[in-house]
Amino acid sequence: MAFHIYFLRRLLFVVPLLFGITIMAFLIANAVPADPVTANLPQNALNDENLVQAFREKWGLDQPLHVQYLTYIGNLLQGDMGRSIKTGRPVIDDIKQFLPATMELATLSIVIGLFLGVGVGIISAVYRNSLIDYVSRIFSLIGVSFPVFVLALIGLAVLYAQLGIVAGPGRLGFRTADPPLVTGFFTVDALLAGDLKTFQEAFSHIILPAFILGSYVAGTIARVTRSSLLEVLGMDYMRTARAKGLGERRVLWHGVRNALIPVVTIIGLSYGNLLAGTVLTESIFAWPGIGRYMFRASTSQDFPAIMGVSMLIAIIYIVVNFVVDMLYFFLDPRIRGEGR
Amino acid sequence: MTTASNAKVAGLPPELGPSRLQLWLRAISFQLRKNPLITLGILIVLGWFLVSLFAPLVATAEPLAQNVTNRLLTPGTTVELSDGSSFTYHMGTDELGRDIFSRVVYGGRITIPAGLAVIIIGSLLGTVIGAIAGYAGGLWDELLMRISELFLAFPTIILALAVTAALGPDLNNAILALVVVWWPTYARLVRSLVLEIKSQEFVEAARSIGASNRYILFRTILPNAIAPAIVLATLDIGNAILTFAGLSFLGLGAEPSSPEWGRMVAIGIDFFDQWWMWLYPGLAIASLVMAFNFIGDGLRDVADPRTRNG
Repeated sequence: MAFHIYFLRRLLFVVPLLFGITIMAFLIANAVPADPVTANLPQNALNDENLVQAFREKWGLDQPLHVQYLTYIGNLLQGDMGRSIKTGRPVIDDIKQFLPATMELATLSIVIGLFLGVGVGIISAVYRNSLIDYVSRIFSLIGVSFPVFVLALIGLAVLYAQLGIVAGPGRLGFRTADPPLVTGFFTVDALLAGDLKTFQEAFSHIILPAFILGSYVAGTIARVTRSSLLEVLGMDYMRTARAKGLGERRVLWHGVRNALIPVVTIIGLSYGNLLAGTVLTESIFAWPGIGRYMFRASTSQDFPAIMGVSMLIAIIYIVVNFVVDMLYFFLDPRIRGEGR
Repeated sequence: MTTASNAKVAGLPPELGPSRLQLWLRAISFQLRKNPLITLGILIVLGWFLVSLFAPLVATAEPLAQNVTNRLLTPGTTVELSDGSSFTYHMGTDELGRDIFSRVVYGGRITIPAGLAVIIIGSLLGTVIGAIAGYAGGLWDELLMRISELFLAFPTIILALAVTAALGPDLNNAILALVVVWWPTYARLVRSLVLEIKSQEFVEAARSIGASNRYILFRTILPNAIAPAIVLATLDIGNAILTFAGLSFLGLGAEPSSPEWGRMVAIGIDFFDQWWMWLYPGLAIASLVMAFNFIGDGLRDVADPRTRNG
């Protein structure tokens, strides 16, 4: 099957899903018992009859539900997600401001999780049922049993408060200015500006939350790597590789390459866990990302913000999994052969 | 040999062989012997069940009783009471002088039922929806599965946050929000099982003797699809408890003063140096979830023959 057919076929699944998400976000927002006008407008605006009327018209609140939805979609397509009650700014602006911090954290976390998880998984499979296998399995079971917020607190208490190895909450110290904005990733921006001191500081701030989130997804990745590699190790072609006299290391590489295909899927799924995990982690580490923004919004009934962020996260999640599906095309020759 | 002894136990004619349920039970008892972690998990879970059930007997103080003179005491502090007797705060006190040990003991009374409620209601709802989708097929199947996909597109806690925020922060609403998040996984699992079983001969046989659709679905198909759903549920309890604790931690679960573990950790953050305020409830969540994960992990080995033989 040609790539573009595969691509279009998958896209056909994604587009209705994206539409469905907007319907769901819309319905949840409309399930609120509170009046959206009083919920969305500040107190002083409520006294102004014209403002209230303008708000009703803009969001079509005097129209039946399906018309309201169309208005909502229309506004959404123009990048208008409404105005956050808490910050008083358009939700889209808030998201633009907070998203890079979350992306930086999530990216570093997934890298850490991948190295840790794949490494542990391979060792566990190769030395199956050995002490090291049991220890790593038990450790990953214990690791995923801790709430992310408790791990974060223990990490902060030991590594920051007691030992002083890493920096505390926030992205940078109070006295350090943000690096000039390029990507929004402080570590990258600091490097681009050639400011090693700021880079060091940003890194020392991000490493603990990233490690905690990363070790969280590492458990799942390790488990999948292990069971997938175990399956591959029993295949005939592994015996063939050995029989034709390849070194044990080359034989293992043969297996690992094939065993990692299912791991790619898990990366996509783990990304969703990561984004969810950021809600809890960011609120502990005072990390100014969308997770913390979402948390604040949900405790103050800030519906435009809640809907904006959950829609955004769902969309990121779907897009990441779509990309993973695309990667599969290149990784797994069986998909390419499917149409023949 | 095995078949014969099995037939004796179940009172079945030997040529029928062991039933599906018996095979499962046998596999589980084998795993119990092979994997001591399952036993450890069961013991810890039982321990928490008993502690929660007999909380008034285990706790040394009232979980809500405040005592402002004894604020933020370190664990193990013993104080003289006015009647001359002494009282030991095993896990210290919080910012209102409440006994942390007693609060942790009572905490299980909120978290365990909440976690179980989410799993039980969520899996029942999912099973019914999945069974209807799989059995009815066609448009119903398509519709129900597309809806379940939508729910799965949101990461768990994000959707739960949005739903709880919409319903208002409250213990029952938090459980309801988690049920909303939880059912689709079960619906999809049960649907695929029903699809598989529906084409088997014994279903055909039931139909041929004129059984009604309801009878076929609930009496012949579902009993054969239930075991994998139960395994998934066991695997899932830990997760449900974690997510519930997360919601409470964010202030969207149990009411602020109640001795709920996630809530206690959240309050403890403001008293970061008084580590006992957040560590003990945190460890309580972790130990309970860990125990369920030990059990679930062992059951997964039963369900997945690939990992069974390692």
